[in-house]
Order: sequence, then structure tokens, then C-alpha cells
Amino acid sequence: MSENDPKPDGGTASQSSSVEREALDDHPLEWDEPENNRKADDERQSVSRPAEKDDDRKLVTGEAKYTADYEEQFPDLAHAAVVRSEIPHGRVTAIDTDAAESMDGVHAVLTPWSDGCPDAKYTSAGQSYPEPSPWDMNVLNEHVRYVGDPIAAVAAEDDETATAAVETIGVEYEEYEYVLDPEEAFSEDAPQLFADEDVENEIVGHDYDRNRMSNIEGELGDVAAAYDREDTHVHETEWSTIRQSHAQVEKHTSLAYTDEDDRHVLITSTQVPNHTRRQLAHLFDVPVRDVRVTKPRVGGGFGGKQAMVVEPIALALSLAADRPVIYEASRAEEFQAMRSRHPMRVRARSAVTDDGDIEALELYALSNTGAYGSHGMTVAGNVGSKPMPLYSKVPNVRFEADIVHTNTPQTGAMRGYGAPQGTIALEGHLDEVARDLDLDPIEFRRDHYMEVGDLDEIAGMMGGEGAERRIRSCGLDDCIERGKEAIGYDEIEQPEAEHRHRGIGMALSAQGTGVAGDELGGAQIMMNEDGSFHLQVGGVDIGTGADTAFIQIAAEVLGCDERDIVIKTSDTDNTPFDYGAYASSTTYISGMAVKKAAEDAKERILDWGSRLLDEPVEDLDTADGEVYSEATGESVSLEDVGYESVYGDEDREHILGKGSHSTDESPPPFAAQFADVTVDAETGEFEVNKLVVAVDCGVAINPGMAEGQVEGANHMSYELAVNEGITFDDEGRAEVADFDEYDFPTAAESPPIESILVETHEPTGPFGAKSVAEVPTNTVPPALSNAVREAVGVRIDEMPITAAKIRSRLDE
Amino acid sequence: MEIEFTLNDERTTFDAGADELLVTALRREGYTGVQCGCDGGVCGASKVLVDGEARMACGMDAADAGGTEIETIEALGSQDDLHPIQQAFVDHFAVQCGFCIPGMIMQAKELLAANPDPSEREVREAIDDNVCRCTGYQKPVEAILDAAERMDGDDGASGQRSVATDGGNPTDGHERGDFDE
Repeated sequence: MSENDPKPDGGTASQSSSVEREALDDHPLEWDEPENNRKADDERQSVSRPAEKDDDRKLVTGEAKYTADYEEQFPDLAHAAVVRSEIPHGRVTAIDTDAAESMDGVHAVLTPWSDGCPDAKYTSAGQSYPEPSPWDMNVLNEHVRYVGDPIAAVAAEDDETATAAVETIGVEYEEYEYVLDPEEAFSEDAPQLFADEDVENEIVGHDYDRNRMSNIEGELGDVAAAYDREDTHVHETEWSTIRQSHAQVEKHTSLAYTDEDDRHVLITSTQVPNHTRRQLAHLFDVPVRDVRVTKPRVGGGFGGKQAMVVEPIALALSLAADRPVIYEASRAEEFQAMRSRHPMRVRARSAVTDDGDIEALELYALSNTGAYGSHGMTVAGNVGSKPMPLYSKVPNVRFEADIVHTNTPQTGAMRGYGAPQGTIALEGHLDEVARDLDLDPIEFRRDHYMEVGDLDEIAGMMGGEGAERRIRSCGLDDCIERGKEAIGYDEIEQPEAEHRHRGIGMALSAQGTGVAGDELGGAQIMMNEDGSFHLQVGGVDIGTGADTAFIQIAAEVLGCDERDIVIKTSDTDNTPFDYGAYASSTTYISGMAVKKAAEDAKERILDWGSRLLDEPVEDLDTADGEVYSEATGESVSLEDVGYESVYGDEDREHILGKGSHSTDESPPPFAAQFADVTVDAETGEFEVNKLVVAVDCGVAINPGMAEGQVEGANHMSYELAVNEGITFDDEGRAEVADFDEYDFPTAAESPPIESILVETHEPTGPFGAKSVAEVPTNTVPPALSNAVREAVGVRIDEMPITAAKIRSRLDE
Repeated sequence: MEIEFTLNDERTTFDAGADELLVTALRREGYTGVQCGCDGGVCGASKVLVDGEARMACGMDAADAGGTEIETIEALGSQDDLHPIQQAFVDHFAVQCGFCIPGMIMQAKELLAANPDPSEREVREAIDDNVCRCTGYQKPVEAILDAAERMDGDDGASGQRSVATDGGNPTDGHERGDFDE
């Protein structure tokens, strides 16, 4: 890759090949940590306490407002519906909109040829600029590449009218050959989805003659030489994963209008307000300042809303209809035309000595990005750059991925972001190798995994996230020990029935925290005259509790009660810039911005305290809502400081703090997963008795919320192991239109999940925090595959793990 | 058409379309705690109690509400005075995005009215058609089991104060000083 190519992990700056040895000095083990960042547990007042989630009371009473709940504020609101391609590949030659346009209650109809339809190319990926995703799509498409590609859109007085109008619209096509299978697509005689001129911002390694959107690779040492050595055995395994749906309970929903100042306003369910604002400005050719994106409560994101999918249609229709428009995707559209996890085939290969030394380790991924390339390269990059660094002691490492287009719906970002696909391949492979060599699977891993002080060069081998990073916190040993104890690893009892066998499997995982060198979070805080605060953060709470974590961080700095902080987040008119809720960055990046803003405000507060108490500022600190002097015991309340600062006799000022944070660091959180399964060797039927996942997330800012994140992620990971995902008919039409058909594990079908937080201290994070939300998404498929292998001796390497597959392998 | 029913203990008349779903009518009238996650009777986010039985308002015609007694999440506690089930969800960190939670709480209310001391299995079966994508059921199940203990056979009617293990009422023990110029 050349110097200026985008980084596979979402970065855009310099490249791996340029990472030289001297760069290692950039990653000293010692970290110049501010003194106040490291507090003993008993010194913390807010952080690592189970503070009540800030929005919980309005959530449990139904008073919280999600995007669709704003409808009532817009009496002339129109509703949108979209005409989508009925064919997998072709060109639209004619669209008959006459009947729709003449229907009562229809306010606007748009086609790709309408003046009101943006004609610029863009990517739906909500990433930093310039995006590491190709600009390969239009808002409404003449060249359609999957069943579900948007072609035309209608705004009408209500949903029923909009839907009825859509049904009257006739579309004529010139049909092209199509391809659904990624391996077939990746051949030179396959139907071609793109020509070079169809794409702006082409991505490294593209080869559209073979439908390849991107190819990435990276190597440390010499893998081939390790395979050739006489003292090594070469092991190879191959794994495949499902097309998982985010299935957020709140559908993609966006409400657009133009205000009295001719500025375009989007109330929208998004993870990336600032990226959405920029992308809309590009599409509609207006200045960024004339777009406002504001995020209310969001009913689940999981990466599916790190994409600008419905916003441009809502805004285009709103302009054409000259009234506010809401577009809420239908549940069927969610499965067919929103986003999903990239299904992949991943090959793992290693060279290992008889003694169990791993001399070389290699992953190759073939990723099906679907019809468009959003997040395609970066997700595939993470297949290698997230899990492989776990084994930082392996000297020769290689990763390569091909990302190919097929005429299937679009994929995108999803919690774990490539790491789940890489983790099953790596952790399943190592388990198999250990069993081949008759080694204990845990001890085999322990001999190679990273520890504090290691320089992780693998994360940097493709120049992406953490392009080389020093490991300053690592709780892997504790995660394993506590996980073993919780699952009863050493005291497993076999069922009485001879044909039933119980086994425990385990898997490890690492993730990142933010994208190294490619994040930004901003925050500001202002003090009110009653001593309370208004905290404004660009960071985005999509239900994770981020707002509460921000409040806890600010309260810890300011020494005030959490309930004395009013928070406003994610409104591009009223909150500072932020890259958005993705890459496990929110608490780490935006949280650090909050900490800096609070420290900035605190400096002014102490100054005022010094003036009011007539004591030197060096002797002062804040706690329990007061500025106090350790030396004299004198104190003044924050309320008095707030009052005096704005209404006092002299030198009045509004106490304001600001902070913004970006960093080259991306410390990995770690997880150890255990799955306890009982398998019937006659039928292949299996029961998952229990899942245990132990996570090192640094200091948990709010342990109760962190546990919820871990359990939710682990449940999603369980689904990845046992659910079919979105399946298609032979034209690429989703066979799943609602939750019943998607058939994910319900409450009664799910095993108990025990989450364990293993606290370490990450010196680069706010009060020692790193990330928690993604790493437990990666681990159930390999742990469960390993558990089945342990119980009955067969290996399931193609997800989902089903009784039929187990029985079939047992029969072989 | 006009439908008459009892909504949250008050006699109510709605004007509803012939094919209109109950969820649409309720939301239009401002009961937006009733959420719509699927497009018809599957995910549980729109659950309300109809004559005491938890039903999805998106799987039922508004017209069929005529003559019934309907209870929505708005009938339970307020932010200052949560119902014990609501309080248990808060205390157990069982709420993340919260979109599915009103429906799940209404389902829990039906369960606990019929079975004040359910087993974990019974709770899981009761919420089997309540889709939650954020918390993965572990904490909601714990919250409902805890709510059963807190209610201890009581139906948790309004006015019944809960026992918060932490958090608690935002005004409790948190008097702000009077502010005057």
C-alpha cells in the first residue's frame, strides 16, 4: 500500500510500511499519567460507583423520546415510503409515477432523475473524512445492484397513503446477470457490479474486473520460512460465519425539516451525528453550518446506525414536499435494505513445533461486502488486527483479506467490527492445534499471549488501529482464572446417560478502544448560578449509558453530586464535535474530553474559591459540593461560587470549561469466554448450560452498566453462534421479513450468562477506563465450537452450530 | 369510527380509522410509551394490558379495544414515584436503550399479578416474545424476580413505594439550598 492510502482500520493517514523501528520510541511503557487519573477505589466518589443511569426513569416510564415520538410536534408531517429494486442486478429504464402523483394526500415523488434528488456519489459509512470506504452509491439508484436498492421515494400525508402510492409506481428494468456467492463473484468471468468510473474515492486493492472492492495484507517476520522449517507442523482450518442482523428494536428512523432560517434539521436515530451532517452537506451541496443533526434517545445501534441510510431520503422528500417528513424503515426493509454483519470465510494456518511453540500464524479472509462497499475494507482489516495481537509473542504473522461485491444487500459496521469473524477462526484454530498436539488449550494459549509491557506490533502490521502499541494494562490471567472458577472448569460432572456428554470450551478475545490516531471527542461544561452544571458533549449515547458515564466522570472531577449535572449530547448545533459512537471509543475518547472540560472548569472554580476563602489555590480542592482547604478546614459551597461568579461584586465571569481529546493510543480490552455444553451423541441435540465471560475493561466507570454491556454483547455473540442469520432466495431476496423469521434466541431459549468484570488500570483512559461493549461480542462462536469438540469430539467450523451439523459430523 | 374504552382508569373515546391498529391510535393520542418495533404483533415493544392480559397493541385493531380496560406504561409510576417493577429495572441496570422496556414491564405486571412468586424459568417464558437487543435478558429477568419480592403479593398499585437498593428518588436526601438574591 502506498503512503497515502487509507488505513484498513478506519484511519486515513500514514501507512504501516512506513512504521519504522524508531517509531517504537513513540510507545514507551511509562505513561505520563495525570496525578488525578489514578485514584484508589476508596477515593472515588462517582467513578466505579453504580450511579443510577441518567435516563432510566424516563425510559421505564415511557416518557423518553425516540425519533418517532417527535411526530406529534409536527402537525403537517408527511410520511415516506420507498420503491426498492425487485431484481438483483440491472438498470432502471423507466419509472411510471403518474398514478402516485395524482393520488390524494401524496405530496412528493422522487426518482433518480428528479431535480430534487441528490445526484452526488457517497458512501453510507459514517466514518471520519476522507472516508476509508468507496463512494459508490446514490440516494436513489438507476443502476440497481441488489433486491432492495432504493429507486424512488414518496412523501404522503400518512404511512398508508405513502405505501399505497409506492405500490402504484411501475419500474422497467434492463436486467443484468448477477452473482450471489462471494467465491464465484471473485472470478474474472463473473458478472461485474462496478466499473472504475462508477466509484469515487476508490480503495486500495480494488479490482472491479473481479468484483474486488479491496485487498489488504500485512506481514511481520517471514511466515513462509516458518512453514518450511523441519521442526514445525503446518495446521490449517477454515471457518465461515453468518450474515447477522443488527435487528435494533427501533427501526432506522429519521425526521427532516427546514427551519425558519433555511437550515436543514434532522432529528434522527444515528450513532454519528457529525459525520451525518458532513455527508448531508456533501449530498445536498450546502454548507456544513446549514445542516443540524440532533439525536434523541436511540433504540439500539450496534453499528447499524453508523450508516447514513434513511436521512438523505427524508431530507430530499422534505425539500420536495416543502414540509417535514419522517422516514421510518419497515421491519422487512430492515432485513433487506439496511445493514448487516459481513459474512466471511476465514482460513487459519499456523506452523507449530512439537513442543507447542507457535512459529507462524496466518489468517486469510474472504469477505462478502454485498452490493456496496461501506465499511468493507475496515471491517476486513479488523478480522486480523483485533484478534491476532492477542498472540503478540508469535514471531511470524501474516494477514490478508479480499473484500468482494455480490448482488446481495449491503453490509456495514456491526458490534465487534470484524473481530468476531477473526476470533472464531483464530480461537477455533488454536484449540484444534492444541488438541492435535495433546496440549492443554489454555496453557498453549498462555505461552503466547500478550502481557503488560509487550509492544504489540501485530496491531500495526497493516498500519491501522494502534499502529504499534505498548500494552500497559492486561488482565488476561485473571480473566481466565476467574472464568474457570465461575464455570466450574475443574469439577465438571458427566451426565448419567451414556450418550450425553458434557464439555467446556473456552476462547480469548481482544479488541481496541477507539481508532488510534483517528478519533476526536469534544466537551464543554458551564456552571450555573446555583452551583449546578450544564455538560455538553458531542459523544453519542445509543442506549449504552454513555451520558451517565460522562456525568460520573465530570462529577468525579468537580466533586459534585451527579444529579447536579444536566447533560446534553449529540446535537450538532449545541454540542461540540465528536466522531460518534463506534469503535468502542465513547467512554475512552469522549469521556476524556469530558474529564478535560471538567478540569478546565474546576481550575476556574478553585480560583474563585481562593478569592472567596482568601486561601492559596494550591491548598484547595473540591468534594461533596464544596471547595475546601485541607490546611484550614475552611470551605465555600459550589453554589456560592456559582452565585458570586455571575452576580458578585467584581470581575464577574461565567465559569466555562472546555476539553477535546484525540490520541494515537488504542488499548485493547480483553475477554475470556467459557461455554458449558451438553451434547446428545445420538441426535446431535445440545444444551448450553451456561456462558461465563470475564472482561478486563480497565476501571469500569459504572460497573452495573458495564455488566449490562457485557451480557448484551455476549447474548449477541451467542446468536452469532447458533442462529442462521439472514438467508436469501436464489435472487438475493431476504427470506427474513420479521423477528419471528429471523429466529434469534429468545429469553426462554437463552442460557444464563455470568459476567465478570476484571479490573485493571489503563493509564491512557479516563480514570483508568478502556472499552467494554465490543469484546464480549466475539467469543461465543469459538468457545461453543470448542465446547462441542470437547464434549463429543467433532468440530463445527461453519456457523451456525446446529444439532444437524453435529449429528452429521458424528456420523462421518 | 368512535371507540369507547377505559384507558388507564379513565373512560375514553378515540376516533380511529377502520383498519387502524391500536398502537397507532394510542401513539397518536400521545401514549408514546407504547413503542412499535416490528410491523405486527411480534416483538413485544407495544405490549399493553387489555383487561389485564398483556397484548401487543400492534397486533390488534383499535376497534377491538371498544369496551375493554386498557392499561399502558403511562399508568404505572411517575419518574418521581416509580412502580416497584420500574424501580427494579432501574436498580438492576436492566435498561439500556429502553425501547423494549415499557412492553417488558407491562408483561411483567401481567405475570406478577397472576403469579406473584415466579421461578426464573417462568419469568423467561413470560417474556419469551419480548425482544431485547441490548441487555440480553439476564438483567431483566433478575429485575422481574426482584420486583416480585419487593411487591410480595401486592399488585404494586400506584402509591406503593419501592425499596431502592441504590439510586432512589431524585429528590430524596438531596435538597438544594434555597436560592435568593
